[in-house]
Amino acid sequence: MAGLELLSDQGYRLDGRKATELRKVQARMGVFAQADGSAYLEQGNTKALAVVYGPHEIRGARSRALHDRAIINCQYSMATFSTAERKRRPHGDRKSTEMSLHLKQTFEAAVLTQLYPRSQIDIYVKILQSDGGNYSVCVNAATLAVIDAGIPMRDYVCACTVGFVDETSLADLCYAEESGGVSSLALALLPRGGQIALVQMDARLHQDHLDTLIEAAMTACKGVSKVLDQVVRQHLQEGSTLRE
Amino acid sequence: MLKSKTFVKKTRAGGVMKIVREHYLRDDIWCGSEACRECKQESTVLQADACIESNLCPYPHYVVPDTNVVLHQIDVLEDPVIRNVIILQTVLQEVRHRSAPVYKRLKDMIQAKEKLVYTFTNEHHRETYIEREQGESANDRNDRAIRVAVKWYSQHLKADGLKVVLLTDDQGNKEKAEENSLVVYKFDEYVKNLTANPELVDRLALSKDDKAEIISSKVLFPEHLPLSKIQSGIKSGTFLQGTFKASRDNYLEATVFVQGDGAESTEVLIQGLQNLNRAVHQDVVAVQLLPRNQWVSPSSVVLQDDGAAKDDDMDEDEEEKALRISAAEAAGKPTGKIVGIIKRNWRPFCGMLNVSQIKESTRHLFTPADRRIPRIRIETRQASTLVGQRIMVAIDGWPKNSRYPNGHFVRSLGSAGEKGTEEAVLLLEHDVPHQAFSQNVLSFLPKMPWGITPEDMVKRQDLRHLTVCSVDPPGCTDIDDALHCRELENGNLEVGVHIADVSHFIRPGNALDKEAANRGTTVYLCGKRIDMVPELLSSNLCSLRSNVERLAFSCIWEMNHNAEILKTQFTKSVINSKASLTYAEAQMRIDDTNKKDDITESLRGLNKLAKILKRKRIENGALTLSSLEVRFHIDSETHDPIDLQTKELMETNSMVEEFMLLANISVAQKIYDEFPDCALLRKHPAPPPSNYDILLKAAKSMNVEIHTDSAKALADSLDVAKVDGFSYFNTLLRILATRCMMQAVYFCSGMDSDFHHYGLASPIYTHFTSPIRRYADIIVHRLLAVAIGADITYPDLMDKHKQSALCNNLNYRHKMSQYAQRASVAFHTQLFFKSRGILNEEGFVLFVRKNAIIVLIPKFGLEGTVFFDSKDKAGPSLVFDEEGPTLKVEQTTFHIFDKVKVTISLDDSNIQHQKIRMALTEPVIPGVSVAAPDVEPQAKKPKVDH
Amino acid sequence: MATVKVSEAEKVYILHGIRDDLRVDGRSCEDYRHMEVETDVVSNTDGSARVSLGHTAVLVGIKAEIGKPRPLVPDEGYLEFFVDCSANATPEFEGRGGEELGIELSNTLYRVFNNKNSIDLKGLCISAGEHCWVLYVDVLLLQCDGNLYDAISVAIKAALFNTKIPRVHMSSDDEGGKEVELSDDPFDCVRLSVENVPCIVTLCKVGHRHVVDATLQEKACSVASLIIAVTHRGTVTCVKKVGGGSLDPESIFEMTEAGKRVGKALHAPLMKLLQQEESLGKKREKVGFLG
Repeated sequence: MAGLELLSDQGYRLDGRKATELRKVQARMGVFAQADGSAYLEQGNTKALAVVYGPHEIRGARSRALHDRAIINCQYSMATFSTAERKRRPHGDRKSTEMSLHLKQTFEAAVLTQLYPRSQIDIYVKILQSDGGNYSVCVNAATLAVIDAGIPMRDYVCACTVGFVDETSLADLCYAEESGGVSSLALALLPRGGQIALVQMDARLHQDHLDTLIEAAMTACKGVSKVLDQVVRQHLQEGSTLRE
Repeated sequence: MLKSKTFVKKTRAGGVMKIVREHYLRDDIWCGSEACRECKQESTVLQADACIESNLCPYPHYVVPDTNVVLHQIDVLEDPVIRNVIILQTVLQEVRHRSAPVYKRLKDMIQAKEKLVYTFTNEHHRETYIEREQGESANDRNDRAIRVAVKWYSQHLKADGLKVVLLTDDQGNKEKAEENSLVVYKFDEYVKNLTANPELVDRLALSKDDKAEIISSKVLFPEHLPLSKIQSGIKSGTFLQGTFKASRDNYLEATVFVQGDGAESTEVLIQGLQNLNRAVHQDVVAVQLLPRNQWVSPSSVVLQDDGAAKDDDMDEDEEEKALRISAAEAAGKPTGKIVGIIKRNWRPFCGMLNVSQIKESTRHLFTPADRRIPRIRIETRQASTLVGQRIMVAIDGWPKNSRYPNGHFVRSLGSAGEKGTEEAVLLLEHDVPHQAFSQNVLSFLPKMPWGITPEDMVKRQDLRHLTVCSVDPPGCTDIDDALHCRELENGNLEVGVHIADVSHFIRPGNALDKEAANRGTTVYLCGKRIDMVPELLSSNLCSLRSNVERLAFSCIWEMNHNAEILKTQFTKSVINSKASLTYAEAQMRIDDTNKKDDITESLRGLNKLAKILKRKRIENGALTLSSLEVRFHIDSETHDPIDLQTKELMETNSMVEEFMLLANISVAQKIYDEFPDCALLRKHPAPPPSNYDILLKAAKSMNVEIHTDSAKALADSLDVAKVDGFSYFNTLLRILATRCMMQAVYFCSGMDSDFHHYGLASPIYTHFTSPIRRYADIIVHRLLAVAIGADITYPDLMDKHKQSALCNNLNYRHKMSQYAQRASVAFHTQLFFKSRGILNEEGFVLFVRKNAIIVLIPKFGLEGTVFFDSKDKAGPSLVFDEEGPTLKVEQTTFHIFDKVKVTISLDDSNIQHQKIRMALTEPVIPGVSVAAPDVEPQAKKPKVDH
Repeated sequence: MATVKVSEAEKVYILHGIRDDLRVDGRSCEDYRHMEVETDVVSNTDGSARVSLGHTAVLVGIKAEIGKPRPLVPDEGYLEFFVDCSANATPEFEGRGGEELGIELSNTLYRVFNNKNSIDLKGLCISAGEHCWVLYVDVLLLQCDGNLYDAISVAIKAALFNTKIPRVHMSSDDEGGKEVELSDDPFDCVRLSVENVPCIVTLCKVGHRHVVDATLQEKACSVASLIIAVTHRGTVTCVKKVGGGSLDPESIFEMTEAGKRVGKALHAPLMKLLQQEESLGKKREKVGFLG
């Protein structure tokens, strides 16, 4: 049997999108009452819940405190039923530890941590359903949760996974594409300044293509940022009408 | 943009997994018709005035074939008459899953502009996407999707006066379509009513109803297992998966080549029609091993299925029995039976028609030229015109109650025996791409008049002042190498090898490059050359002709007088060759002591160094093996061969060769050092010891010992192998040794660890020196150019998997081109003997088989088989001894190297397989040998030797 | 579980209120808080449900996998439970912080649900001794605001109701080897009967009375609680005391009676809601976490 045809001659991808099209992004802020900030975000069939606690006092060893800024504490986990094949543990494996670290790095670049010296901000992200681009969806959800918590950031952090196949960049990969032999690259962007908060790529790609791929990723991130901006504005509007 | 989801379930590793995929529906997918005013499309494919001469559909219309029509009738669909076709995405996907070759052809068809084929992405169109309903099978759903799309099209184009015709051979689908008031026809119904091209009818594949008519109810073959069972069987180890290779010599025997883990692989022997169970050469099959006590060994019997149309009677029993008996003697090899077909690898086959004895019959048997392919039953109304023609036929299917597969006529190649036709057959049968280069490919050629520009010179050395010359066979127009040699001030010698800079003209990834990569090599036939790159490059811009400025890639060494390399330099350059010489001309200049000009001095220097290089190489254990190469003197008017001679080698031949080898080795080392993961190299594996068995046995029979522990031992023992009074012995031995060797192959350094080139006794080797005629050299040029900073790299060059895939293609093309070349020589040999009548010649026994000996005629470099048994009459008593190996015919025993005399004649009783027939005249065996013909008086002289 | 600190004065206020059958949020002792149930929220599971009870939120996903039957009961399938106390619910669960609670919860759930009286385990068997369905019931705690057991049990019952197991049959080949084959039709699946699946009612002893669906504040005032699994007929299938304090036999009897009453009343509206959702089929608009 032949493998999957990731991009048809007519220019359509497996799920019917064109190369530069994002999946449908839907999000809601303030999902939970107990946390300081929370958000739920779907990007196609990848669904994530992000919760923010803090800024609060340092939990555990006080020596971890930084005198000039807040520490950002991230935990990434996946629901055991989120993947096609059931996972045995929600977190604690290498992959999710690495992912936690990436999230931490991404948000250290975005959150104005110097405003909260000697304190801690917890960002917990849970993947409820996984269909590719887990890192990006987590970043996007967490951005909304941090905003919901009222923690100042330089800009939205928007992330997107892009891939390269048949000389074409594909935006926002789904799982079938990620596993179908595409060289994928994940990029987190602070769109206003065009600053890159994180870029990661495991696959082999020729150097000549890197620029086009990063370019495509940045365009995709900007697309995501528009959607996030809309969500935030709508959320604020709803909030203000309720208060009136 | 709307969105919905599909739910797919998959199993993997025994478990069950639920897989969910998104499925977006769009409203920006257009219909592709020129007549449409609704769609906002930028370009259209389908014509507004889509007319075809038809009795059935005289109105303008588009056709929509369903999946089975595409799968089975692609031969008809490809005809230029059929245009304005809509291929639905549903159909395209189903075809992709079910048949890779048809999918490829379908895609080619879609891309051909003049065919006007439009692909409609119906599965993502908001109005044509449908979800599978409860209780509906996947096939029914797809049929419904096709009907929905056709319905949409008919309504969409109604206002524009166009109709859409659904073509399906499925009765149920047709009825449902009629209920939906769609225009629907069976495919044969549609084609038969096309007045434009009545011959198309012959190309129709048989539909199911027709098949039922032909075949008897008797079940002749065991049922094939379904794929699911095969897969579970392979997983559990009950079955083995492999490629089916039919035997050329015996139609009742085949082997299945099973690729094991890593390098391990086994061959499973299959014998008998029942066990072969309808597998065709090159199919991927599942085999089940028979119990060990039923294992047999490959028979040495030569059996051809050449009974007249035996049709469905299985009177093969006797032949099979013969097979069994002969096979049972020796210890068995793993033997099995085919239980199922995993993938058919059918392609159109060349061959000829055996016209049915019944005059009115439209069903005939077709005999393919390739003996490994079974005969095929086809239906045609033009049998009388096709008789004596070479035709192409495609297989449609092989039901279990039919002795032969069913097929249909594809096209005619011309009259059999005509040179043009036979060449076409030869190229087709060896899968040699030989069409004219397309416009797209030619568009990437440099524009004429061409000249060297200053930009070209940026990264090049100007070597135009050097006395460079080329030495090639006479009549060579694609000169890809030139040489120079001069003395330096420090007393050392500077030697340069200059190779045409083809990679300057062929840039990676464009159509020209892709075409060349696919062709892989230039194919040389007798009197004809099928170029890898267009002629403008091969015979002009890249040909290093004398007195013109040409771009080159140079490899320059500084050597001392002992031919030791002191310095190596690679550079792109510009040269101006001072002379294009033939081997003979160069030889004459060297030998002529009066000549003192630069060119001659340069040649002498080269020749001197080459001799030292050659000596060193041989000391290192490089092999010099023989194979007799035959040249034809071709009549310039008729292009028929008038004389035939074996190639003669001169010193200058080996002079050029030595430097090419040296350049190749130097370049191989350089690119490997620079790119350890993706250097394209060439290796020649050492043969496994068992390969030498026949050589050792043969030598031993003459009391000569051959050592095969290493290449050097072999070379040394071959050098001393001599038998008094038998001067030709050493050559024969070397011919045998050649047959023991493995095939040299291209590979990617990142995918292999064994680089050794056995024949050349070099630890590393590649091909650099013939980029005009070998694609591997172009890749090597590109790698070397990157390594010296003269060119930039590109992704595929650094991707070892892609490079490995390329190597596979190059190896395949290379092998096929050799086969084609041999076949061409054989064909010309036949033409030659046709005009000569019966000859009587002296020859040597090269191999001994159970029922035949293979004889080599040194005079013609010709090999032929002398059969001792024949089907029609009782044969002589034959005793075969594998140890010798010897064959005792009546009272005479044949050994390898025995000198015999045979008559040579052309047997054209079977026009398709014209062959050289050899019959024994000496030694005389009553009832077996024939009388020598009178034509040549010297043959009558009694001759007594050894 | 998120700790709440309750002052002595607050405690007295809560205790007095409960004595008068009027709780802080206005409920009477046997009232539940507002409960939301939605099924089929995670499309790549075989069955799923989301339940929120007050601020407590849980998500249950069920995946059916083919496994080997337990040797003691070769003709039955079985259920596996896993409770993921994620850090989302409270930072205390970060790392391995939630593990202890998770194990306690999953063990209790296993006892309550994995028996042939609540679920037709024989129906999960594919071929005796060789293949059976294993239902992995994974519970994800998203927010904790007291009364986890009740919320989880309702979510599990809803998810089981929603579960669709693909239909399989055993095919055997000539050599006697058997192979599980999946039905080709994605609509061809087996549903579970959840009629006898119990719900858990937690009764919290506060002062001399007991309350259902205690909030975290109420819990802080209680000495001990009793969890009771009740079927729709009012049959008690499991009773377990949880918490640090002790209970006298009489109050256990009283609490059990109350639990039966409350539990019975809980089943009817739940089943009605589930059936209503089911009847809407594909037309139902999924809300999930976006609503």
